[in-house]
Amino acid sequence: MIEARGLQLGYRDRVVLRDVALTLRPGELVAIVGPNGSGKSTLLRALAGALAPQAGSVAVDGRPVGSLGPAARARSVALVAAEEHADDDVAVREAVALGRLAHRPWWRWSGDERDEAIVEQALARVDLVAFAERAIATLSSGERQRVWIATALAQGAPTLLLDEPTSHLDLAGAYATLDVLHGLAADGAAIAVVLHDLNLAGAAVDRVVLIGEGTVLADGPVADVFRDELLSRAYGAEITVLRTGDGTLVAAPARRARAGT
Amino acid sequence: MAVNARRTANLLALCVVLAVCAVVGIAVGSVALAPGDVWGALVHPHAGDVVTTIVWALRFPRVLIAVLVGGALAVSGTMLQGMLRNGLVDPYLTGGSAGAAFTIAIAIVLGAPEPLFAGFAFAAALGTTLGVAALARSGRGVSPERLILAGIAVSSLFAGLTTLVIIAWASSTASLQIISWLGGSLAGHGWHELGWAAVYAALGLALAVVAVPALNALRLGDVRARALGVDLDRTRWLVLIASSLLVAAAVSVSGIVGYVGLIVPHVVRRLCGSDTRWALPASIPAGAIVVLVADVIARTAAQHQELPIGVLLSVVGVPAFLYLGFVRRRTA
Repeated sequence: MIEARGLQLGYRDRVVLRDVALTLRPGELVAIVGPNGSGKSTLLRALAGALAPQAGSVAVDGRPVGSLGPAARARSVALVAAEEHADDDVAVREAVALGRLAHRPWWRWSGDERDEAIVEQALARVDLVAFAERAIATLSSGERQRVWIATALAQGAPTLLLDEPTSHLDLAGAYATLDVLHGLAADGAAIAVVLHDLNLAGAAVDRVVLIGEGTVLADGPVADVFRDELLSRAYGAEITVLRTGDGTLVAAPARRARAGT
Repeated sequence: MAVNARRTANLLALCVVLAVCAVVGIAVGSVALAPGDVWGALVHPHAGDVVTTIVWALRFPRVLIAVLVGGALAVSGTMLQGMLRNGLVDPYLTGGSAGAAFTIAIAIVLGAPEPLFAGFAFAAALGTTLGVAALARSGRGVSPERLILAGIAVSSLFAGLTTLVIIAWASSTASLQIISWLGGSLAGHGWHELGWAAVYAALGLALAVVAVPALNALRLGDVRARALGVDLDRTRWLVLIASSLLVAAAVSVSGIVGYVGLIVPHVVRRLCGSDTRWALPASIPAGAIVVLVADVIARTAAQHQELPIGVLLSVVGVPAFLYLGFVRRRTA
């Protein structure tokens, strides 16, 4: 479980987010949404302990995240960063096995049988067993995302934080990724995921954290956050929330007046 | 697994080639020895004949120095390229070698005992590398491009200062000693120097071994490696200190031998992949082979004179560097 209280986040003198309070509980899949540059990734990095807050605190299972060493932090929180170039010849199984790094003593170059079994489970969980020997560079964006999720799973951390894991994916790929995350949450993981696509969040998660105007504007079930005035305020554009036939809430931009109309 | 079987086969092949090169290195010289005589002298070190004396007093330590120099520079290059994720980095380009060379030039002028050379070289290599890294800092990290530029600038500065030392002491034998030493040569060193250099090389290699898991995780990127539990600052310190120890060991017995740390890691990655668990051990025989072959050519190419091994490797290294820097980057 992660608890953030009175967080102020930023870089040097610049404040990006202030007065942030957020609790991430086991079994939850939470989407963090907001406009570009609003501080979604900054918040995720602070929750993972990769960015020291300017004020406030982040606690992981009751312990301040800043007090944890790099390996202890990796065993508690798995951060799946946005796309970063990996060496071309790294094989899928090799990458996932690196997820066990924080569980090995410093003198061991490779994992033991238990580590190998955990790696195989992680590969099976994201349906990547058939790709295990392939180089990551040869995979599609969606397959690569599954590799990073499997690596995070191999880390064995009870909390997973993912930065835009559905970017560059088509709708089917995005749903497949979120289905995997739903399954992990059902098994007791606490998961926060930054999503760029507002409607994907509305359709696929139960709780949404809306970032805007330098703070958390709303935090709750989709129905509480998907309100015309809240979304319009956060995104700085007129947005209307519609309900589809199956009850899904959809954020639709208002029609813009064009010249001559 | 097929990949690991191929890597094992290539690593074994490198070791076999190294053994053959070592025998050739002992056999070839002003007095040619038959491989059988070389073997006989190696297994009977106290035979007391001329062949045994040539092998044990001259050629065998020289071959071991070549192995140490090549292995140390190649491991250093493999680590630096892995840490900075840039194939154009080597201990020569990051200024460590030039700093060490300048310090040893000063030590020669001052008449310091040779066992201290490796210590001076280590302090200078570490100081220079840290200085270059400080110059290359941009924002939150060290930019590889800035590191190379800063390394070239600082190397030029130390080369200039070394030239100044040579001119200032032009009338003494020290300047000739510095010049011959700058060209890179394995001549004139024996067991004593090898012993001192081996201590530094062993320490550097031990630190390199500790850094392997972190270097391997860095293949996924800095941010991911940190998320997996890698302490990036600790890793950078480990690599810089290990690299400085290895460079010091090499420079103290061979002078300036460039390009081994640049080219060998590329060859090794082709043979064994970028997995540091394979690339680092494979660097040792691969680097050793390059320096051994270069030393044999240096000893035998010209009659009555030995070519400087550093100059010889530069002749091969510059085109290889240009190929890696421009052609491969364009085709990547």
